[in-house]
Amino acid sequence: MMGTEISLRFMAHGLQLPKPGFSAPDGSVQPTTQIHKPKTENDKPFTAAAPLAVFRILFGLMLFGSIVRFWSKGWINELYIQPRYFFPFYGFEFVQPLGVYTYLLFTLCGLSALLVAIGFLYRIASISLFFSFTYIELIDKSTYLNHYYFTSMVCLLLIFLPAHAYFSVDAYRRPGLAARHIPVWCLDALKLFVAFLYVYAGLAKLNSDWLLHALPLRIWLPAHNDFPIVGFLFNYTWVPYVFSWFGCLYDVSIPFLLWNARTRPWAYVAVVVFHGLTALLFPIGMFPYIMIVTALIFFSPGFHQRIIRQLSVSLAIPATFWEVQRTYRYPAFRERIILGFLTLFFLFQLLFPLRYLLYPGELFWTEEGYRFSWRVMLMEKAGYAQFTVKDDAGHQTIVNNTRFLTPLQEKMMATQPDMILQYAHLLRDHYRRQGFVNPQVYVDSYVALNGRLGKPLIDPTTNLANEQDSFRHKTWITPLNDTIYGF
Amino acid sequence: MNLFNYKHLALIAAFVTALWACSGGGTDNPTPVNPTDQAGSNRKAMLTNIADNIILPSYANFKTKLDGMLIKSDAFTAKPDKTTLADFRQAWVEAYTEWQKVELFDVGPAEQYTLRNFFNIYPTNAAGIEEYITAGTGALDVASSYPKQGFPALDYLLNGLGTTDDAIVARYTTAPDAAKRIAYLKRLTTQMNTQFTTVYSAWTTGYRDTFIDCTALNAGCSTSKLVNSYVLNYERYIRSGKFGIPSGAMTNGTVAPGTVEGLYKKDISRMLAQTAHQASVDFFNGKSVKTGEEGPSLKSYLNALGTKDGSQGTLVTTLINNQFTAITQQLATLKPNLYNEVQTNNAAMVETYTQMQKITRMLKVDMTTAMSITITYTDNDGD
Repeated sequence: MMGTEISLRFMAHGLQLPKPGFSAPDGSVQPTTQIHKPKTENDKPFTAAAPLAVFRILFGLMLFGSIVRFWSKGWINELYIQPRYFFPFYGFEFVQPLGVYTYLLFTLCGLSALLVAIGFLYRIASISLFFSFTYIELIDKSTYLNHYYFTSMVCLLLIFLPAHAYFSVDAYRRPGLAARHIPVWCLDALKLFVAFLYVYAGLAKLNSDWLLHALPLRIWLPAHNDFPIVGFLFNYTWVPYVFSWFGCLYDVSIPFLLWNARTRPWAYVAVVVFHGLTALLFPIGMFPYIMIVTALIFFSPGFHQRIIRQLSVSLAIPATFWEVQRTYRYPAFRERIILGFLTLFFLFQLLFPLRYLLYPGELFWTEEGYRFSWRVMLMEKAGYAQFTVKDDAGHQTIVNNTRFLTPLQEKMMATQPDMILQYAHLLRDHYRRQGFVNPQVYVDSYVALNGRLGKPLIDPTTNLANEQDSFRHKTWITPLNDTIYGF
Repeated sequence: MNLFNYKHLALIAAFVTALWACSGGGTDNPTPVNPTDQAGSNRKAMLTNIADNIILPSYANFKTKLDGMLIKSDAFTAKPDKTTLADFRQAWVEAYTEWQKVELFDVGPAEQYTLRNFFNIYPTNAAGIEEYITAGTGALDVASSYPKQGFPALDYLLNGLGTTDDAIVARYTTAPDAAKRIAYLKRLTTQMNTQFTTVYSAWTTGYRDTFIDCTALNAGCSTSKLVNSYVLNYERYIRSGKFGIPSGAMTNGTVAPGTVEGLYKKDISRMLAQTAHQASVDFFNGKSVKTGEEGPSLKSYLNALGTKDGSQGTLVTTLINNQFTAITQQLATLKPNLYNEVQTNNAAMVETYTQMQKITRMLKVDMTTAMSITITYTDNDGD
């Protein structure tokens, strides 16, 4: 298929996969050529530590801000304490809600983010940040967002990176740690991961709904036709087309344009405009800001050094602290282990989003292999699911979903087959306790995808009580009977 | 300045051209083809029509009927006899009917003050009412008191106290607790007047402007709240309340005649349901309560968006109105007394429920998804 071929070619551009014992990438993709680069005995190149330090500070602060925002909006209570039932991820059922202790978890997460930002007790803080943040995200599928997954994975990477070697409290307290240069792969790993996100997000937009029908933007943009000054434009059909095509081009090209020093300033303008626009138009929270900040890692060491210098001046930090000249070196064996881990990490990142190819049926409809694949803003999907529980003893009832689920959970469940199954099992167990003998659970579902009229998502004659979740194709999903061409 | 990477651009262009070529023969492509109609998708015009020609005149009409009922109520409590009872009962039917045309506007002040709770929670709690009467007191603003007031409570007090009018009048004249019963009746009508006046005056003293100015489509603004409450009203208070629950379609199949609306009067239950259904139809079509002409509405908005059935090319509003019509016809096949219908002709009741289930899905899924109305109250990234 043509699409696959192109994807591989894009991958060839995007992949600068660091391997154990890899040699220096050619200078064209390295923005650090002008900086003094010592070499190890393994001939691995080094780069300035400043970009990673600035990233650590900004990312930590953003995350801390997100936690504070989440807390202040009352969402901890609303999303993690109030719900009576939760939707754990397949294979992560051991992740249990913590009730009122969720506040402690968020405290730990926020504190860790702050510690990471200032680089204090960095190793412990980065580990605790990864685990606390990831735990929160694994509690309930209904709150799944791609940018939470992104954040979680960046936290994972940060555990292994020497982001505290430069301009951190740790470096201040232990001058032996302080270093101005770090192995170049430390920065490249982050850049590569960001490139993965964008390229896969872009590839996901190469489909007929997005490009040929400007869907779902054609549904979403007119909703903003009362936007000041430009709102009237959203009533014109060509506008969502422009947005769709620009968004797609942006996603597939932006990592390369950021990586290239010549195009970088313009690319960054595009980053700010693109994410700024999405922040204005769609309720996507912190994501645009996190991406705007993250894109800074592509900038030159000199740029970040200036930030550090400015920061030092305003904080009255002596120049001797940030003018340290040491180079951070991993013990050879540990570096090999970490590079081996990174190889596996990127192999996973490369393959996992492609797992949808193993499933029959329309991805947007079945959502088999949809999550954790950087598929963002691709669908306007709404659904309605009414469950009937009955048994052989003549019991029968139609379930009022609001008795079990929050509005958000119900909305998410109604369009996602794996959640429908989880909910059906929850109902089976509930009604069994209510005296139903071997309860059978059926669902009358009705789902509309990208402006198509609604139709049943699940076979109404399937007793969901007997079906099991797995990575296999769910045969009880009714086919869409329509083809969305492309990725 | 080499802003775009031309190599990638060319690749994408090639891919898309291929895509275009492949998809040319597709028949079931998703909907809108027409350019969006500038005027039709103007939400301010729609909200203005809904406020000025539907909600406010409906409230005004209801106020007239409610005031009329209060006068008859005063006459009855001043001098309970068969004539004043008949007058009161007649005024009660008229006000109850008019209520069906305002219950769906559960937005703004009505939502804030939970107007429905004070007017139409049924089945009424007859035992609870008797306790309140005996006690001579009892809070009317707590959740447990909602089934002890409003039209269903009046239904019990006007129609359910005896088998003949003489017997009922006797409960207000010669019975030992007659004075207390009259006092409770007065409390109920006062409560209805107070609650409605609060909501209506909020609309006439500023909320109308707030309503039409909040044109965004996010969860906090008028269109979203209006549509959400409109769909909820149809699903829960028309489909479930009037048919799903009494017919047993939503429970274990056992009929529950005691849960019909207008339980004690009985012969008005179909008429109440028809009125509520028609009010929902007229609201969808933007039909002015004053002139009967259609104005900017959910229908015209959806038409402006060009929302169509992908395979047939039929406007979704046509499909919705077709289903509304099917329900209207189904309702006409029922006999006026739904209390009897569930016991003698329940298949028709269940069929009504099934037809209403169909429109519920269309309103709740097809309409809201086309309008991009979100019921989310937290962030999402659209996946």
